Formats: sequence, C-alpha cells, structure tokens
Amino acid sequence: MRKLLKIYKPFTHAGVLLAAQYRVNFVFFVLGDILMCFINFFLWKAVFNSGGAETFMGFSQTDMVVYIFVSFLTSTLAYSDGAYAVGEEIRDGNIAMRMIKPIRFDLAFLFQELGERTISLMLAFLPLVCGVEIYKFAVTGALAFNPLNFVLYLLSLVLSYLINFYFNVCFGYSAFVLKNLWGSNFLKDVLVGFMSGNIIPLNFMPSAVGTVLGFLPFASLTYTPVMIYLGMFDAPTIALRFGLQLFWLAFFFVLQQLIWNASVKRMSVQGG
Amino acid sequence: MIHVQNLKKEFKKTVKEPGLKGSIKSFFKPKNEIITAVDDISFDVSAGEILGFIGPNGAGKSTVIKMLTGILTPTSGSCEINGKIPYKNRKSYVKEIGVVFGQRTQLWWDLALRETYTVLKEIYEVDDESFKKRMAFLNEVLELESFITSPVRTLSLGQRMRADIAASLLHSPKVLFLDEPTIGLDVVVKDNIRQAIKSINENEKTTVILTTHDLQDVENLCDRIVMIDKGKKVFDGGIDLLKQSYGQSRELRFVPVAVSDADKLNYGREFSLGESDLRVENDGHTVSVRFNNDKVSVEKILSYTLKTLHVKDISVTDADIEEIIKGIYKSGVSPDA
Amino acid sequence: MKFFKKIHRIFKLHRIFIKQDLKKLMEYKIDFLTGAAGMLLTQAFNLFFLSIIFSQIPDLKGWKFEEILFIYGFALLPKAIDHLFFDNLWAIGYFIIRKGDFDKYLTRPVSPLFAVTVEKFQVDAFGELVVGIALLCVSIPRLKLDFSPLNIALFIAAVFFATFIYTGVKLITSSIAFWTKRSGNIIYMFYMVNDFARYPTTIYNRFIRSVITFIIPFAFTAFYPASYFIRGGNALINVGGTVIAAAVLTAIGMLVWHRGVCAYESAGS
Repeated sequence: MRKLLKIYKPFTHAGVLLAAQYRVNFVFFVLGDILMCFINFFLWKAVFNSGGAETFMGFSQTDMVVYIFVSFLTSTLAYSDGAYAVGEEIRDGNIAMRMIKPIRFDLAFLFQELGERTISLMLAFLPLVCGVEIYKFAVTGALAFNPLNFVLYLLSLVLSYLINFYFNVCFGYSAFVLKNLWGSNFLKDVLVGFMSGNIIPLNFMPSAVGTVLGFLPFASLTYTPVMIYLGMFDAPTIALRFGLQLFWLAFFFVLQQLIWNASVKRMSVQGG
Repeated sequence: MIHVQNLKKEFKKTVKEPGLKGSIKSFFKPKNEIITAVDDISFDVSAGEILGFIGPNGAGKSTVIKMLTGILTPTSGSCEINGKIPYKNRKSYVKEIGVVFGQRTQLWWDLALRETYTVLKEIYEVDDESFKKRMAFLNEVLELESFITSPVRTLSLGQRMRADIAASLLHSPKVLFLDEPTIGLDVVVKDNIRQAIKSINENEKTTVILTTHDLQDVENLCDRIVMIDKGKKVFDGGIDLLKQSYGQSRELRFVPVAVSDADKLNYGREFSLGESDLRVENDGHTVSVRFNNDKVSVEKILSYTLKTLHVKDISVTDADIEEIIKGIYKSGVSPDA
Repeated sequence: MKFFKKIHRIFKLHRIFIKQDLKKLMEYKIDFLTGAAGMLLTQAFNLFFLSIIFSQIPDLKGWKFEEILFIYGFALLPKAIDHLFFDNLWAIGYFIIRKGDFDKYLTRPVSPLFAVTVEKFQVDAFGELVVGIALLCVSIPRLKLDFSPLNIALFIAAVFFATFIYTGVKLITSSIAFWTKRSGNIIYMFYMVNDFARYPTTIYNRFIRSVITFIIPFAFTAFYPASYFIRGGNALINVGGTVIAAAVLTAIGMLVWHRGVCAYESAGS
C-alpha cells in the first residue's frame, strides 16, 4: 500500500496543481450550476405553498431543499472526467504509450483526478454543507445534524465517486469504436444524471420505474448518498445500499480490467 | 507602396507572483509592466519588391506584420499601404492583401480543401469567371490538384502550406504577407514554396513581405532585408549591402596532401592578424581559414598557402549569410546602414 | 439599395456556411444524432419532472400546467435561435482569443463579428426548437388561445427580440476575453441565469425577480411576453420590455465587442 502511494503520488500532485490553476474557472462553473439549485429551491417552495400539504410524496419542504443542494454537491464531487480523458487518449494514440509504461493506467488517472478533486472539495464542500445545515436550523429551529449519517454519507460518497470513475473509464473505451465523442458523452451525462436521481428523487417516479432504477448502478451515484444524508433509509436499507454500491464498484472494476487486458493483447498482436 | 513611419507597439503585461498568495494579490492589485515589442521602426517598400524580415525569436517581426495587416493597432506611429491605413480602413484594406501565418491555418479544418476556396470566393466577392481562372493559375503554381478533395485535417504540412498560400491569393491581392511560410517543412517542399512565391511575384508583380528564420529563403527570394532585434531596426538594405557591411570575412578551404604539413602554416604571424580577423579550423582532413578581407587580400593568403605546402583541393568562398547574421545577433551592434 | 445588397450578401454567406456545416454533419453523423438525442432527452426529463410535480398539485402559484408548458415552450424558441446562429461566441470565450485564432477573422473583408458567428451553424439547437414548437402546439389548443393578427405579429417580434437578449448577454461576456484571454466560464455563469425564465417570476423572491428583470433580463425572453399571450395585459410592458432589453443589451454588447477588438493583442510574438 505504501509503495502504491509512493508510485502514484506524483499524479495526485499534478492533479492538485492542475486544479489550482483552474480554480477560478471552477468557481464560475459551480456558481453557474448552483443557479439551477436555486431555481429548484424556489420551484419547490412554490409547490409546497400551492399544494397545501405538509409533505410531498414523503418529503417535507426542508427535506426537499436538502435533497436539491446535497444532490448537487454529491454529483459535483463524484463527477469523473474519465470517459473523456480515456477517449482522447485513444483518439490521439497516446493510449499506446500508456500500455508500455510500468504503471497501471486506471490508477494513474484515478490518482490524478483525486488530486484535482481536493481543490473542488475545499471550494464547494464546506460552504454547501454548512449552508444546508444552517438552513435546516433556521427553518426547524432545532439542531438536527446527525454525525452518524454524515459519516455514512461520506463513505457512500467515496464509493459513488469510485463507481463513477470506473464506469466512465469503461465508457471511454467506446472511443475504440466511435469516431467522435462529444455527442455520446453528452447523451451519457444526460441519461446518467436522470437515472441517478439528480433531477428528482427516484422514489418520486412511478413505482416500477423507481424500483428498477434503484438497482441499477446509477442510483448509487447520487440517490443513495443523499438519502443516507437525509436519514431516510433505515438500517437494513442502508446495508443493502452499501452492498449494491460495492457490487457495482467491483463490477465496473473487473469490466475495466477485462477491456484493458483485451486491448493490450490486441495491441501486442496487431501493433498500434 | 508601403510606407511605415516610427511604428511602435507596447503591450501591457501583468506580472504574476508565484503561489496562491501571489495570484490573489495580483487579482486585486495587478502589477503591470509595459513591454515595447516594436520600437520606432520606419521603412518603405516599393511595388513588386520582395522584402524579408529577419531577426531572432521575439524580436518583434510578427508584431510588425500584424500591425501591417490590421490585426493589431499600433501604439504610435503610422503605416500606410496603398494609401490605406490598415487598422482604420480594415474592411476595404484587407481585400487588397493576402496573409499567411505559417503556424496557423485559415482553412476549414473538417471540410474538403475545395470547399474552403468556394467559401473564400464568396467572402472576397470574386466572380465566377475570375475564380475559375484564378484556381487554374494557383493550381499550376502550387500543384493543389492531388489533394484538393481531401479534408484539410488529412493534409501534410507541406500541402497545407501550399493550400494556405493559395487561399491567401484567391482574390489577387496586391500585397502578400507571409509569416514564416517555410516553417517545419523539408528541403524539397521549402524549395517548391519558394519557387511558387517567386513566380507569383514575377507574374503578377505582387509585393511580398515575409518573415523567416530560414536564411535560404532570404538568399533565394528577397531583394532586400530588414533585420530587427529587440524591437529595433538594425539593418535595412540588399543582401549585397549586408555582405559588404558585415561580410568582410572570406573562407579558404583546402585539403593538404600531407596532413602534418598544415602545422607549418601560421597565418597569424605571417599577416599579423588578431583573433577577431582570423579563425583556423582543422578537422584532420580539410583545413578552413576564415579571414577578414579588409586586412589581407585573397591573393596574399592564397599564395602564402600554396608556397608553404602542397594541396589536393582548394577553394575560396564568401562567408555565408548565416554566419554573418549569427554574428550580428550575437554582438547586437547597430550600424548606420 | 446598398442596404439591401448588404442584407443579400449576409444571407448568401449564411446559406453557404450552412451548406458546409451540413456536409460536416454528414461526416460526424453519430456524433450529431447522439448529441441531438441528448438535447431532446434533457428537455423530456425536465417535462417529466414538471408532470410529476403537477400530479400532486392543482396549480403553481395560480399557474396551470398548460400555462407552464406554454411559457416553457416559448422560452425554448429564442434560446434555440440564438444557439443556432450565435453559438461560436462560446468559442471566443473559450479558445479563439486565447490561442490567437482571432487573427484570421481580422484579415477578412467582412465584420469580424459576422465572420466569427457565420462560421458555425449549430444544428444541435434543433433539439430545443423541436421541443419548443411541440410544447406550443400542445398547450395553445388546450389553453384555447386566440391569436389575432396583431398578436401573431407581436409573438414573432417577441421571439425575434428575445433572441437578442441571449445574444447580447453572450456578446458582452465573451468580449471580456479580449482583455482576460478567456471568459468561457463567465459566459456560462451568466447564461445559466436563463433557466430562471421558464417559470413564472412570481415564484421567486424579490431579489431574484429584480435581477432577472432589470440586470440580466432573461425574464423578458419568456415569462413576461408569454404571460401576455396567455392572460393578456399590457403589451407595451410585456413585449415592449423585451424589445428594450434586447436593444440595450445588444448595444452594450456591440460597444464592448468593438472596444475589445481594438484591445486585441493576438498571441505569441
């Protein structure tokens, strides 16, 4: 483990530097995206005012606000650029260079992205979590911060990122087949965003759809961590959800490995 | 035709201090530094001339070209081409010029090369008749035929450069600006491009202004050169004048019959020449002697050499222009040329 | 006469570039199809979201589902048209200036702004255009909206001018790159404000309402004009406001742009 960290530390370092260089851009991007949260915030406020009921499909207004902002936070932090990065490497042929180096391709990417994440973590995480908790306190008048849920959320967030990372690496390999990546990447982002609960909680959907989506890997990306944060899952559900997260992580990890081995083999047989 | 007077361009550059603290500081209180890229340059070019702009990297060559083509506005001074001021009468002015930046392309990357010309035809309002004639002419000079239907992104660098030059000539400009037209090309392609530039200049009396690092370009093409260094003009004149002013040196090369004989020669003592006027190199086969022609004549050097030893082969040449320019870049002196 | 010749030329160049862009499209068919599918799905998911909300409540602050659909559909039209014709302004903010690629537009005998924008005809925008028109087709009969000739004229005017609110905002923010070399993220931040426009402004608090009315007046791209067509009211304010906002933003945009072109420093030596 220590040896592993030593080999890949330079990648993390490079990632931190890269992200530091683009931090101003990142802030503008987050500000742009967060506007969407505020639109939803006001929309839901109006919905609760118009509906007259205290809850909407089991969510109180406060729950809904927390869902909006924490799901934004979660999807921002669990975001992975892997698909695009891998696709570019395949298109410009750099992938062959990766194959002859004595380091693992996925880990090099992973550690670099983790480095990039540190900056966005610093810039987005604390302000958003504090903001949400202060809002909860201001509305309900009671300090309702649950440390256990929070720790479980962090754990689930890490798994969410790793699943997303390996899913994206697998997706990036599609560049071996497709010529251009912009369209397919965009379509993927739209679909994944919807299926992971970025737009609405999965339990708002028609029950059959919701159940199916719940078992797909995408639910693990946003829906699971946020529901844990909200404390809406009971203990058995939490256990099941973590089980699912681990299963999908293993699934994509192995899949990625298989594709990689196959392409290395092909490369050594056919040449670059 | 082209009249440039006291042209000057300054850039403001924000000085960034290293580290996070430095960049926060420079965000709130930026420290600016003014850099003079082009400093008080004047020259004239007459119609039909080919003028070469040379100078080391960062000397300000491209900045001058960008001001002459209307891309940059000068800080002070003026330039007038065909009675027009580039950055003021931009739209009507650019119809009379063609511009090629060797490091960039103005071709449409994803489309077949031919499409670029159809689009440019409309932009420059070339009528069908002249377009046809023009394409035939450019085809002949630049040999576009073999790749005109390929997408631009698949062209080799040499093909792309030919295509770019053709694109800049489509509207029969009176002046052609070429910024490093031979950069990165192999010897054969370079030669092709030079031939093309020359024949366009001869056929159409197009005035050509080019910047380059390749002195072969200068020797083969230019009637006149302007050399700039650190934004200032250091030389302006024909190649002959350059050689006269700087190129006093000549080079004598010979192959002695017996290599050890070469030790018998001592040019320094014989002609009392200092190190600045004489350099002898011996690679064990050929001996080369570079000497200042003002201090000692070719005849004397030759007769001394032949008197002292037997040679298999001997020749005297002018110092090549590369050597001369290297010398000027290094010493940085500006003569009153 | 000279004016008409100019207009004719603009149309001609547009036609040529559109033709080229369609050719390019054929080469990247899959990319285009998947991209357009993504655009369509984005809108479909948003509508799905709205339908779930309205399955639980009768109206939103007094606005019925069909009315919201009309506003939403209206909002997509100017957005799509701007997207179709002025998409290259994003590239100004992201890389054209930083890389010095702006040079070539300055050596062409047309206005640089025209040269930049004409170069890209963004077909992806058809996704938004199709959804927008579909929503109007669905909601107009249900709302039993009656379009008098005057209102049809006002509708066309409102969409036309609303387009220039988008373009104006993009023009101002992208021009910043002439000084800072890069402004893509600033464009993004301001552009995203447009999403506020697709819901009735009455759901927002006063601060946001005044921002989207007076400062970044995206409310005039959708809610204000659309509500006029649904419920009537003062055309002078609702549609007139759109015209004024468009005129002011475009004028500022042109000014900043021209200043920027003069300040352009190119790249490299």
